Amino acid sequence: MATLSVSENRGDAKSQSGLEGRDLAYGYTKTKLVFEHINLKTSDNELLAIVGPTGCGKSTLIRNLGCLVPAVHGQVFLDGTEIKKPSSKISLIHQSIATFPWMTTLENVKLSLICKKLPREEADRIAREMLELVGLNGYEDYYPKEMSGGMRQKIAIARSLAASPEILLMDEPFVHLDELTATSMRKEIYQLVFNPETSLKSAILVSHNLNEVVELADRIYVMNGHPATMIDEMRVNIPRPRSLRDPLFFDYVDKLHNELSTGKKF
Amino acid sequence: MDVLTIALATVATIGRIIGLIVLSVLSGWGLAYLAVKNRRFENVYVPFINVLESIPVIAFLPIVLLVFIQGLGGVWGVEVAADFLVFDAVSWNVWIGAYQAFKTVPEHLLEVSENYRFGVARTMWTLYIPHSIPRVTSNLFSSFADAFFYITVSEVFTVGVKTYQTFGIGTLIANFVQQQNFLGVYYSLGFIAVGVVSVTIMLNMLSRRSVAKYGVDTAFEIKRSSHHWLGRRFRGADVFRTRTLYLFQHAGKFAPLRHRGRFERESNGPKPLIHLLEVAVKSVVACIIMAVFIYVIYSSLLLAFSVPQTQWREFLAATPYLLYSMGADYLRVFAVTLASLLLAITVGYVLATSHKASLIFAPIVQAVSAFPAPAYFPLIFIATFPLFSSFLPRGFSTEIYVFILGFLSCFYYVFFDFWIGVQAIPTQFWEVMRNNELGFRARMRRIILPATFPYLITGISSTINSAWAGIEIGEFWPNIDGTHSLEVRDGMMKYIGVNMSQGQVGNAAWVSFLFAIVVAIYGLVFTRNLMDLARKKYVVEEGVYAT
Repeated sequence: MATLSVSENRGDAKSQSGLEGRDLAYGYTKTKLVFEHINLKTSDNELLAIVGPTGCGKSTLIRNLGCLVPAVHGQVFLDGTEIKKPSSKISLIHQSIATFPWMTTLENVKLSLICKKLPREEADRIAREMLELVGLNGYEDYYPKEMSGGMRQKIAIARSLAASPEILLMDEPFVHLDELTATSMRKEIYQLVFNPETSLKSAILVSHNLNEVVELADRIYVMNGHPATMIDEMRVNIPRPRSLRDPLFFDYVDKLHNELSTGKKF
Repeated sequence: MDVLTIALATVATIGRIIGLIVLSVLSGWGLAYLAVKNRRFENVYVPFINVLESIPVIAFLPIVLLVFIQGLGGVWGVEVAADFLVFDAVSWNVWIGAYQAFKTVPEHLLEVSENYRFGVARTMWTLYIPHSIPRVTSNLFSSFADAFFYITVSEVFTVGVKTYQTFGIGTLIANFVQQQNFLGVYYSLGFIAVGVVSVTIMLNMLSRRSVAKYGVDTAFEIKRSSHHWLGRRFRGADVFRTRTLYLFQHAGKFAPLRHRGRFERESNGPKPLIHLLEVAVKSVVACIIMAVFIYVIYSSLLLAFSVPQTQWREFLAATPYLLYSMGADYLRVFAVTLASLLLAITVGYVLATSHKASLIFAPIVQAVSAFPAPAYFPLIFIATFPLFSSFLPRGFSTEIYVFILGFLSCFYYVFFDFWIGVQAIPTQFWEVMRNNELGFRARMRRIILPATFPYLITGISSTINSAWAGIEIGEFWPNIDGTHSLEVRDGMMKYIGVNMSQGQVGNAAWVSFLFAIVVAIYGLVFTRNLMDLARKKYVVEEGVYAT
């Protein structure tokens, strides 16, 4: 089973690789901060989740980590080197599914390969491979308009993976999808991002959905307060595949719920 | 020279321009709605705007004389005539901007309005108008600039031997020039500069605000109004509209698909009063438009039959040369449009993406565009003619001057449209570009040009149509500096100018007729078809929230 093999291959030794945010802070003015003193680090083959109440700055935080929005304080390191501008090694999947209506599915995916200056055939091959990986083979010449929301999000995922990123940032990627599609994509996403055919080392997921984060995450960061800080870092020790009916699963959800509603660590 | 009079004249002119811009926006919304709802009306409306936008203001003088000065008479006749000429300068690009915006309202938002069974007024207020605000705003820069470009011929004009004038800065400048009072001209230009910069700053604020509020997920933050009661009141209205548009964007995902059968059954019941009122208003508007067209066709036929056969033979004999002259002018227009487009996608892009650069350079570009070129162009000519004539053949230097005048008369259309279009690109698209480290060329080719395609079509269309204004002035300008004349060898606009000055109105009318046919075809082939393409494929908003 792919999930199990991924878990088995996971290295326990801490290394310099991965994405790290040190003492990050963000605010619309320098005195009115949304969050502060945020420290987090990804480890190889790990899916990390960030939860927090609405408005605590989760989406901004992952944009800080991707250097798409500069933090007002703190530093971001990728594989031990400080980064200050966006890199195709860190790829973001948006909450509002961003596909370009004038491009076909294949062209949308190939967009992330432009900066690599690959020959056309090579770019085509990689894009097709990624589309196959997300289950969209046969839809290469379709326009996003002609596809469902779930399929469009898969285009965005394929585009992100085609860039061969080390880190995948996911900003509530399932929020605009209907429940059935979201459930099926949640099942696929873990195997998808840690598939041996992709270059990914780790992924960060931002979500409101507590069931979703417990189902997917290896580690969960909990944000709360005004300005928000990281109030807890929780490792999810539930074997995969995880079931919502598992009492342990429910305990994690309950604990997260309590921390979010009270703002205290349990 | 009375400084107070100059100040008051500047205020009067700016007030006149702003009032007429408001009128053109309101009428533009109404006509754009009719155009997107009725294909037959659209087929007439689009070439109609193109033809009228291409005809320089001066060509409207005979209509002005007949309808307003002779019809109304007196001070009001002259005032309304001047207002008509200013309206002609400001309205067409606002109309085409509104049409373009209405044409590219995302499909699923329209479905929501149909689902909720909104009437015309509610659909306009909650969907079409908010959606059009960034694009209409982008056209306000051009309208304001165009109004000032023509201000000296709009406020004071000569028909035959009689000169008519109304109070305004254009009239004062014309009088000062006639009296050789250059100090008065400089003072007037100084007051215009103050007025132009003030209005430009306001338009700038308005454009940023409109993009922030009415664009979809743009990078601009929504700025709240001040605590002034009036500010709060307007803010309330803005927030209402924004929220409504937001509701549309998100409700689209959940709105049930339209069920034709259910709608048909429901529509069999008694029709509500508002529906009957809507039908009545539409019918009245349709009747008025029909009456105007019948009148125009009738008058044209009467005019055509009154022309003797020998004259028709002369017209036909001159036609090959006239088509050649028109071709020469189209080459000039092409050069001007290309230069404007290049400026837009380079400087316009930098201004749209760099806040600091826009703070410094945008007001400069706006002020240059709004400053009336015919008022200061002779100064450019006097300063550069000795240099150009020393190493360039006369014909070539004339072409350069025509190019400069053409460029100054229209570069800002595509520039401002593109500028606002870039600002209206959703944040997510910018993030994808930055995330994938796309360079300038890749950004332009793959994302920015397609994303701004509807804006570019409007801008290019208006640039092409408005380039004629500068070309018309530049091709035939007798005694531009008192000793030299600006005159091209071949050009349709020169042909019109020369024939008008010699009283050969028939020749000018014939070439104008040929020109109108070409422009109408261009309107149908270029503007409408490309707008249809934009509607099908290049609605940037559909790339983000349509799930």
